[in-house]
Amino acid sequence: MLEIQGVGEGTHSHSTATEKRRGASGVSRRTLLQIGTLGGVGFAGLSLVDLLRMQAAAQEPDNAKRNKSVILVWLAGGPSHLDMYDLKPQAPAEIRGEFRPIETNVSGIQISEHLPHQARIMDKLAIVRSAFHTNAGHGMGSQWMLTGYQPTIEVNDNIYPSCGSVVAKMKGANEPGLPAYVNLPRLLPLGKAAYLGASYNPFSPESDPNQDSFAVRNLKLPGSVPIARLDRRRVLLGELDQLRRDIDNKGDLVGLDKFYRDAMEMVTNDKAQTAFAIQKEPATLRDKYGRNDLGQSCLLARRLVEAGVTFVTIQAGGGWDTHGDNFKQLKDNLLPKYDQAVAALVQDLHDRGRAEDVLVVSFGEFGRTPKINGGAGRDHWPGAMSILYAGGGLKMGQAIGGTNAQAEYPTSKPYSVGCVLSTIYHCLGIDHKHIFYDPANRPLPILNEGEPIAELV
Amino acid sequence: MLPSSRSLLLTATFLLVALWARWGFLAADFENEIQPLLTRYGCNSGGCHGKASGQNGFKLSLFGFDTQADYEEIVFRGRGRRVNVAIPERSLLLLKSVGAVPHGGGTRFAPTSEAYQVLKQWISDGAPPASPSAPRLVSIRIEPSERSLYSGEQVNLRVMASYSDHQERDVTKQAAYASNIDVVASVNEEGIVTAGKESGEATVMARFMGEVAVFTAILPHGAPLSHIDNFTPRNYIDELSVDKWKKLGLTPTPLCDDATFIRRVTLDANGRLPTAEEVREFLADQNPNKRAECIDRLLDSPEYASYFALRWGSILRNSNLAGADQASYAFHNWLKDMLARNRRYDEFVRGIVAASGEWQDAPAINWYWQSRDDPLHQVTADTAQVFLGQRLQCARCHHHPYERWSQDDYYGLAGFFTRLGRKSFGQPPPYFASANVTTGERNPRTGKVPEPKYLSGDSATFSAEEDPRHGLVDWMAKPENPFFAKSLVNRLWGHFFGRGLVHEVDDMRATNPASNPQLLDALAKDFIEHQFDMKHMCRLMLNSNVYQLGSEPTDGNKKDRQNFARYYGRRMIAEVFLDSVDQATGAKTKFNGVASSARAVDLPHENFGSYFLDTFDRPRRVTGCECERSSGATLAQVLTLANSDDIENKIGDGQGVVARLLKDQKSHEEIVDELYLGSLSRFPTADEKNKTKYFVDAVENKTEAYQDLLWTLLNSREFMFNH
Repeated sequence: MLEIQGVGEGTHSHSTATEKRRGASGVSRRTLLQIGTLGGVGFAGLSLVDLLRMQAAAQEPDNAKRNKSVILVWLAGGPSHLDMYDLKPQAPAEIRGEFRPIETNVSGIQISEHLPHQARIMDKLAIVRSAFHTNAGHGMGSQWMLTGYQPTIEVNDNIYPSCGSVVAKMKGANEPGLPAYVNLPRLLPLGKAAYLGASYNPFSPESDPNQDSFAVRNLKLPGSVPIARLDRRRVLLGELDQLRRDIDNKGDLVGLDKFYRDAMEMVTNDKAQTAFAIQKEPATLRDKYGRNDLGQSCLLARRLVEAGVTFVTIQAGGGWDTHGDNFKQLKDNLLPKYDQAVAALVQDLHDRGRAEDVLVVSFGEFGRTPKINGGAGRDHWPGAMSILYAGGGLKMGQAIGGTNAQAEYPTSKPYSVGCVLSTIYHCLGIDHKHIFYDPANRPLPILNEGEPIAELV
Repeated sequence: MLPSSRSLLLTATFLLVALWARWGFLAADFENEIQPLLTRYGCNSGGCHGKASGQNGFKLSLFGFDTQADYEEIVFRGRGRRVNVAIPERSLLLLKSVGAVPHGGGTRFAPTSEAYQVLKQWISDGAPPASPSAPRLVSIRIEPSERSLYSGEQVNLRVMASYSDHQERDVTKQAAYASNIDVVASVNEEGIVTAGKESGEATVMARFMGEVAVFTAILPHGAPLSHIDNFTPRNYIDELSVDKWKKLGLTPTPLCDDATFIRRVTLDANGRLPTAEEVREFLADQNPNKRAECIDRLLDSPEYASYFALRWGSILRNSNLAGADQASYAFHNWLKDMLARNRRYDEFVRGIVAASGEWQDAPAINWYWQSRDDPLHQVTADTAQVFLGQRLQCARCHHHPYERWSQDDYYGLAGFFTRLGRKSFGQPPPYFASANVTTGERNPRTGKVPEPKYLSGDSATFSAEEDPRHGLVDWMAKPENPFFAKSLVNRLWGHFFGRGLVHEVDDMRATNPASNPQLLDALAKDFIEHQFDMKHMCRLMLNSNVYQLGSEPTDGNKKDRQNFARYYGRRMIAEVFLDSVDQATGAKTKFNGVASSARAVDLPHENFGSYFLDTFDRPRRVTGCECERSSGATLAQVLTLANSDDIENKIGDGQGVVARLLKDQKSHEEIVDELYLGSLSRFPTADEKNKTKYFVDAVENKTEAYQDLLWTLLNSREFMFNH
């Protein structure tokens, strides 16, 4: 009797977990996607996946999910959680530092005095204070946060696909003729597609949108080539380029033709040019975001997701690696720009009625040491870090989780990297358990641990 | 707390079981009978209880390779509810399997099935552990091993297992099956193969208790041929290829013309385009032996060494990271020198795998230094992959799912590197063979420091004075080594033919057989007989008529993807492509920190800034895998070629090819010839002459017209591809 009850208990929780996991995206859709990808060898396979995806989307009640997008503000170097979102005013001076907390427009939530713009719109933001991992190296920590996998070695390039590349592969661009995944203002180290293939690498203007000379690299016609000249070249190319498209055995030639058409469309058609034309934004709005690379990248990111780019990663300057002079760096340089840009972006998305469709998220590779070092700096600390989410259909106006008195470790709601990233995938309707295969043919799910943060979804 | 009556009952049962066991009543052996069932029904697969973290608290070893651990998990853990000896049908193992209680994995088999009966009987027999005296599995084989099939035809496979007591047993029902190409041949769980709609070859794997065997299904592309008309073999590569083509009903594309040949062979052997002058001379040469002479010339040129040093440098991770700037130059030059002098391949490998000393004397220690953060595992995995063609990484954490490699094999190879020491100064620091173990790594199965064991299974012992790594290379270089020679000839084949005989080139295993095993064997034998002479192998491959086939598919081979009945075209790799653009435009790219004559293929490491090279996927040298070079196209690539100031500046360069030809007052015909020869390595056809004439005539500004033509040639697929 006892025994049978025990069996019942165990299996009950099991089946609930299974149901939960299947959740909103539905079994049929996931299965379809998997089937599609298994058959997805080469170019013909891609279109099969697309077809299945369309069928699946048609079955899905929440069609709007297809047009969701993400703007990730990447604070390279490791932002100081203690001086931004997780202040410890009761801690000793060598830990709490110089900054004071201030009230926000959500009662009970306090953030740094140097984030006043964000404090005023706290109801449109959510902070997770209890994220953590265990690697304090820039390269490995960044790879972990950007891909969801901890690499075993410090290397040039990410070994696992970055979040943006996964999205590019799973969803493509929301609007054809635009890239799916963009890095602003430049290509991000460790943000590439790894074993998903070069086609899912990010596209980048490689140019600072705060400069008058801003131009997407190689998108505008070179000065010596007016459109008529490009046209006549393309006509000649069409006549002379007669190489058969079936001489390779990988489908690269056919794929190349597709990218040629897309690229020429981007060059000659207004859609992409307009999306990148930050100059068209009113000067007052540009001022609101801040006239610097981060502010203008945020504004450009908004234009891009509106036009149909699915995932934008913004490299928020460098300088977050504040080993020396942490407080001066933060208050004079880093935080004012960051505060203004992110607050303006979130407010702007609300003003335009897009806040539910666009998830803004901000984090770096780790937090910083609670104990202030001899040079008034803070060093690397992955034991606790704060993540900012805004919009995307998540529940806003809350601060989730907490850390101990020294902000060293989560004391409630500890969330792993997989939780942080699966929340992003959740907003996009991507099954984070979907499996890809690496060159060794190992089955690797998009994330190998973590579920979306329950308080947010 | 259990009621006391129940403990009594249990005790009584165990006593009975113990007695039965002694009397020899036990039929089902846990390792021989139960484990295969758990494998066959997917219980211990990677998606279920076999994954590293288990599933819902129940964790089995992947595919059941760890009998002891699995036995304990099933019988002793889970609060003892998984097996109920007193009432076997109430064992959670059975209730879950038949779906009598909710099971995330659903119903695996029915209560009426044989599997259920075997499990139930085993439990009611007291769920005994594997008997130490039971015969153990030695190998399995499939009957038949190969069969030509027509679409829709079926074959019943039979899997026979041989045991240590020399008994054979039919394990067809217990084995698990998988096909590598379902559309050619699929297989069901009974081992019945059904030929599909696509022609080609499929490998069907049967797996049983850590042993694998394969069946090859051949669906000929056409009717098998008794002879191949349009092809004359020049060497054994050709002859063995013909054998395969006949079987598959493939006819090769006719040989390529001379212009295509010189472009192709110069790209493949020297990593550059031939110059316009070289093409003219070659085309004019009437010597019937000119292709062979051209091959000799290219293999003797320093550019052969430069190009292959680049290819090796990429997979040997030669990087300037971690202070290794000078060392990366030294390692690059060392590679170049070894290749230029055509030193024996085993010596080449010894210089890397057994490198010790300071980087100035042994530059190859940069290979070790670039694995500094994960020294034991990365070097072990790279050694296996780069020099033995074995992807052993899986076996670090669990038995390789498709191969016979166990964790003990992996740690056996790792054992050759456990005494490698490095000093605490210098970048890279000096490396040396220490008398003592220098790693803290342990074999997780045994908890012991890994001890050297060859992949052939033999243990090796070394004195404290010996460097075990030399022992490893000695073993590699033995003529009977089954991996070493094959791995190199397959890598070279992949380089020249666009795909390995085994594909991927460094993933050689029983379940991923060569498309032409006889040819691979012959090449490996030849390589060994010629004292590991790499240039000999290059020469042989390049002189084969298989290499010299045209690349255009014909009706007789359009479905061929792996039997080389035509040359498989491919995009030039990033470095070669940039050099080719430079050469075709006459405007050379300059790199900081190297001689102005240095081409992209001459760069010793990956950290020379170049938007072009990064856009075209120059590898970042982070893996030992050739596959790091991705060939997929991107928007940024196309925009760079078609719409960039970089390319526009090269086309319009004041010292560039168009400016020079116009300055020399060449005729229209001469200019067009020169542009074609410099980029496509051939003269324009009559049709192209007409079209270009028409185009140039219509454009008022002739400089711009010729620049437009050059742009067109650079953007043509024929230019981007080696074909």
